[in-house]
Amino acid sequence: MTQNSSSIDPRVNRLHLETDDHPTPKPALDQLETFEVFHQKKVGAAYTYVGPVHAANEEIAFLFAKEQYSRRAICSGMWVAKTQHVFLSGYADDATSIYDNLPTLSEVPNAAEQSYEIFHLKKRGKAHQHAGSVTARSPLHALYVAKEVLQTSPAVNVWVIASAHVLRQEQDQDMWATTPDKKYREAMAYRVQDKIEKFKAEQKA
Amino acid sequence: MPNLAVKNLLYQLADDQLILGHRNSEWTGFGPILEEDIAFSSMAQDKLGHSLAFYSLLHALGEGEPDTVAFMRNADQFHNCQLVELPIGEYDFSLIRHFLYDNAEILRFEALSQSSHPEIAKIATKLKGEVKYHVLHANTMVKQLGSATAESINRLQNSLDYAFPYALGMFEPSEYGQELHDTGVFIGEAALQTEWLARITLVLEKTSLKLPNVSTIQPVYGGRKGQHTSHLQPLLDEMAEVFKIDPSAEW
Repeated sequence: MTQNSSSIDPRVNRLHLETDDHPTPKPALDQLETFEVFHQKKVGAAYTYVGPVHAANEEIAFLFAKEQYSRRAICSGMWVAKTQHVFLSGYADDATSIYDNLPTLSEVPNAAEQSYEIFHLKKRGKAHQHAGSVTARSPLHALYVAKEVLQTSPAVNVWVIASAHVLRQEQDQDMWATTPDKKYREAMAYRVQDKIEKFKAEQKA
Repeated sequence: MPNLAVKNLLYQLADDQLILGHRNSEWTGFGPILEEDIAFSSMAQDKLGHSLAFYSLLHALGEGEPDTVAFMRNADQFHNCQLVELPIGEYDFSLIRHFLYDNAEILRFEALSQSSHPEIAKIATKLKGEVKYHVLHANTMVKQLGSATAESINRLQNSLDYAFPYALGMFEPSEYGQELHDTGVFIGEAALQTEWLARITLVLEKTSLKLPNVSTIQPVYGGRKGQHTSHLQPLLDEMAEVFKIDPSAEW
C-alpha cells in the first residue's frame, strides 16, 4: 500500500486514497438489473428506444433514464421497462418482414387477455419505435395479432412488452421544458474552436 | 432604498444554489454508480443555472456581473444557509441534504411563481419544472434507501439527525421578511417551513426513518447574515481558483 496524494484534482486528494498493489478481483454480477428506455420527442410522436440503464426498480430507472437520455435531447415523455420483460421476435433481413416468418403458434393460449405494446425495428441500425398496442393472450400471440392489426411497413425485428410492465412518465412535461435553454450542456455553445483560432491568429500577428 | 429587501432575497436564493450546486458537482466522477453520477451532476448543473438566473436579475438591478459576484466575494459576503456549504461527506449525507433542500426549494419556487415581483415570478415559473425532477429524484431515492437494508437505513438516519438543525437554518427569519410579505413578493420563511415539514413527513412515513423532533432542536442560523462554517471559504477558494488566474478572460 502506498499513499497517493498528488492528484491535480483536489477531490481525489481529499479521499486520501491508497493505491492497492494487490487488488481483489471484482465480484461477478455486482451490477443492478437493466431497464430499457423509450423517449418521445414531442407530444403525439411515437416512443423510440434510446438505450438501457441499471437501476433497482422502475421508478429509479426513470430517474436515471431522464438524465442519461434527455439531458440534452428535447423530450416530452419517457417509458421504461425491465429488460427481462421485453419479448423479442427473431430477426429478418432488411427489406423483408419478420411478420412473414413468425414461429408457429399452434393454438391461441388459454391465458387471460392483456394489453401489449409493440415496437418495430424498421431497419437494422435504426432504433425500435412504438407501433401501437394490441390485446392478446401471450407475447407470441401478440405478434400474430399485431401482424393483423398494425399493418404497418415491414419490421426486421419486433419487441413485445406487456403494457402493465411499462412505467410511463407522460404527465410532468414541465420537467423537460427548459432543456432547449441549457446551451451550457452543448460543447458547441462554447465555440471553443473559434476561440482557439482567434488565439492562434493573435499569436501570429 | 426600496430594492434592498428584494436584493437580499435574491442573494439568498442565488447563493444557496451556487454553493449547493458546487458541492454536489464534487460528486462528478465519484458517484455511487454511473447513472446516479450523471443524474446528480445534471442536477448540480441545474442549480448553477438557477443561481445564474438570479445573479443576472441582481445585475439588472444594479449589482455586479454574475461571474464577479459568484467568484470574487469572500465567505462573510455570502447569504446562503449553512446547510449547503457543509462538505459532501459520504453519499448518504449528500442524498439527505438534497432531500431536505429540494423539498424546500420546490415550495420556494411555487411561492415565488406567485410573487408580485414580475421578474422573480417569471424565473420561478420557468425553473420550477426542473426542481420538480430534483424533488422526485430525492424522494424516490430516500424512499428506496430509507427502507432497504439496516446499513442504508442507519446511514440515512445518522445523516438526517446531523443535517436537520442545519436544514431548519434554511428558514432563518429575515429582517426584510415582513416587508417582502406585505408587498406580496414572498410569503415568508415561517409559512414555508410549516409546509416543508408536512411534505418531508409524508415521504419519511413511507420509510424506516424518523424525523427528529423539531420542537427540541435548535436551528443553525447565521448563514443569511454572512456567518458561516469554516467549510465555506475553502470551497470559494477552490471554486474561484481558475477564474482568479485571469478574471478578465472571456469564457
